[in-house]
Amino acid sequence: MPEALLLSLAALLCLIGMGWLALALNVHWKQVRGAASRGVFTARRLRAMAALALLSALLLCLKVDHATMASLVWVMVLAAAALAVALMLAWRPRWLAVLLARAPHR
Amino acid sequence: MMQNFRLAMAWVHTWFGLLLGFVLIVVFFFGSLSVFDREIDRWAIPETRFEPQPMPSFDEILRPAFESMQPTEESVAAMRGRVDGPMPAHFDTPIRWGAYTTHRDPVLGLFAGYQVPNAKNPDELVWGNRTIDPRSGDALPDDRLKIGSRFFYPLHYSLNLHWMDLGYWIVGLAALVMLVALVTGVIMHRKLFRELFTFRPGKSKQRSLLDLHNLTGVVALPFHFMFAFTGLVIFAGIYFPVTHTQLEPLHELHEVLDAEETGLPHERAGKPAAMASVDAMVREAQRRWAERDMAGEVGFLAVQYVDDANGYVSVYRAGTDRIALTGEGIHFKASTGEVLREDPPPSVVERVDEFLTGLHLQHFRHWMLRWLYVFGGLMGCVCLATGFLFFVEKRKRQHAKRGESGARVVDALAVTTVTGMLVATLAMLVANRLLPDHLPGRGDWEQYSFWGAWLLAMAHAFLRTAPVARARLAPAWREQCLAVAVMAVTAVLLNWVTTGDHLLRTLRDGYWPVAGVDLFMLTGAVIALLAARRLGLRRRPLPVALTDEEAAHA
Amino acid sequence: MASLTVSRFHLVSRVAAAVLGGYLFVWGAMALGVAGLFALGMSFHDAEHLCAMLAFLVYLVVFLWSFAAPDLRRVWLILAGGGALMSVLASLIQHALI
Repeated sequence: MPEALLLSLAALLCLIGMGWLALALNVHWKQVRGAASRGVFTARRLRAMAALALLSALLLCLKVDHATMASLVWVMVLAAAALAVALMLAWRPRWLAVLLARAPHR
Repeated sequence: MMQNFRLAMAWVHTWFGLLLGFVLIVVFFFGSLSVFDREIDRWAIPETRFEPQPMPSFDEILRPAFESMQPTEESVAAMRGRVDGPMPAHFDTPIRWGAYTTHRDPVLGLFAGYQVPNAKNPDELVWGNRTIDPRSGDALPDDRLKIGSRFFYPLHYSLNLHWMDLGYWIVGLAALVMLVALVTGVIMHRKLFRELFTFRPGKSKQRSLLDLHNLTGVVALPFHFMFAFTGLVIFAGIYFPVTHTQLEPLHELHEVLDAEETGLPHERAGKPAAMASVDAMVREAQRRWAERDMAGEVGFLAVQYVDDANGYVSVYRAGTDRIALTGEGIHFKASTGEVLREDPPPSVVERVDEFLTGLHLQHFRHWMLRWLYVFGGLMGCVCLATGFLFFVEKRKRQHAKRGESGARVVDALAVTTVTGMLVATLAMLVANRLLPDHLPGRGDWEQYSFWGAWLLAMAHAFLRTAPVARARLAPAWREQCLAVAVMAVTAVLLNWVTTGDHLLRTLRDGYWPVAGVDLFMLTGAVIALLAARRLGLRRRPLPVALTDEEAAHA
Repeated sequence: MASLTVSRFHLVSRVAAAVLGGYLFVWGAMALGVAGLFALGMSFHDAEHLCAMLAFLVYLVVFLWSFAAPDLRRVWLILAGGGALMSVLASLIQHALI
């Protein structure tokens, strides 16, 4: 079952990465954190962390499957993760605060 | 034409999207179901509910099965006009035998092509099919309609409309329009990335519909584009038969060169020759694949020129571990078992082509990716459905004021293609469990119930959308949602009653084909019920004053 | 919707140009592509597959262009005329090869 584990981990990383990408946008940052805008520095850091998370997800996919298959799995998981984040922002935005546990308050 | 580029693109998106969207939603929905076509087959044909089997021994199982086959009556009847003289009662010169399976098939499909004496075109064959239980070689009832792989699947690329291939052309145009709608949609959107995660269910209905339309369109954009595009590429030969019409001479020139190059015989020698052990050839093929680091099962096995000195056996690998639909075919001389040819490694263009077709046809073994495809397909359906609803929502007040019926007609067609399509699908599955086992033409009756239920749903949709003309919500939506919920639960219950395979049992045994179909329908029922409840809430406290005020506002 | 400042005939002609004119153009492009690439030494199947893949992308582009271009007569001229021209060229190449 390690394959299923790796793929689940990849999916989780995509979800987290997409969450950070969303938080890098001011509208969503405010939805999650309340009134104050996020700083430019925070946004940049969020994007960098998002890129790292999504990239690691791709590497995990590549570890499990043939490269052609892995890239498709990754693209589709990205889509599902983006939808999940959008729906969370619509109905349970506070949940995404988990992703900011260690981001600087400002 | 229009005032500017952006408006022109918006016009194309709206009107082409609306007109062909009704086709596209059918293509997307039944395409999504086709991801699990084999599993739906198991649900619909309870006799075949057992584990998938590898390709069985040719020498022990397949050969006797092939030998007892004959062409179908339809095939013989279709041939009758193209023969000089009478048709024989028995066809005894098989030219081609083939067996095809996938990692999801418990049953094995066989086909056999026979030479027809005195045929005007001697290359034309009559064909027979059979489905066998690969464990024993016993024939399974062939009059059973494989609802998943022989009805839903072809429905998604041909609408099962075969007159002059009309269905293919309609779906082809729809796929092109899908590409067009994606590009024009991106042009219209403007804030593609800034609003990537934006869905505001609390805002006005029009706003939240548009959000959902954009969201489902954009997050699955690569999926939508690739599936519409690869679907077109797969049928390029139908849509642009250039090399079989205008460039036919060039094609023939190439065929001759190609046949010389492959060295495989292209006609019968006319001298009988006994076949060597095909099982040994299969073992050799598997050994060679393993050497290339591509160990695998056999997906397709074919014998050309059966029992003839020129006969050869082709063994193709089942492509379960990669996207590209490649066979790595190895061809053996039938009488001796020596290798005649190994298909050369594909060129770059072939690699790309195999990847694109394999991506769409998904012969691979990857359950997660399969579900992600279903997800992508259903996103497409949501995108199209919200597109219709946005069209209606944007116009219904204006049309109500002017006394026009445009919005109402579109709403009725939307009901027909969204909930009506679900009603039709479920009606077919319900009929599948209710019709007597030995009813002649049982499969035809299942198809009639599908189309009949869809027609009824359409009639209901047109009758019960009258309030849209007064800028209100159509009761048809809620009523058909309830129908969907009731029918889905009925289908699951009927499966239990008629086969004894209730969910507790299939889940305990881990028999996912049937458990999955049941669970999918039950999930659908829950969603339909929730939708009906929400629609009911919207319907009740809608004071006339409010709608009038809104209408005035608009 | 997008305000239409055009006659019904113009609209039908525009749609026909995109769908049918586009088809003719892509047909011609595909024929010329297959024959031309084969003549240049690409294998027939490769030429066929490559052109089939590109064909639909070309169709997509000319379809959109037929609605975006201001002058409809020019659209028809390029799509139908260009398609016919390329088809003829393809047949000439084929003739030379056989």
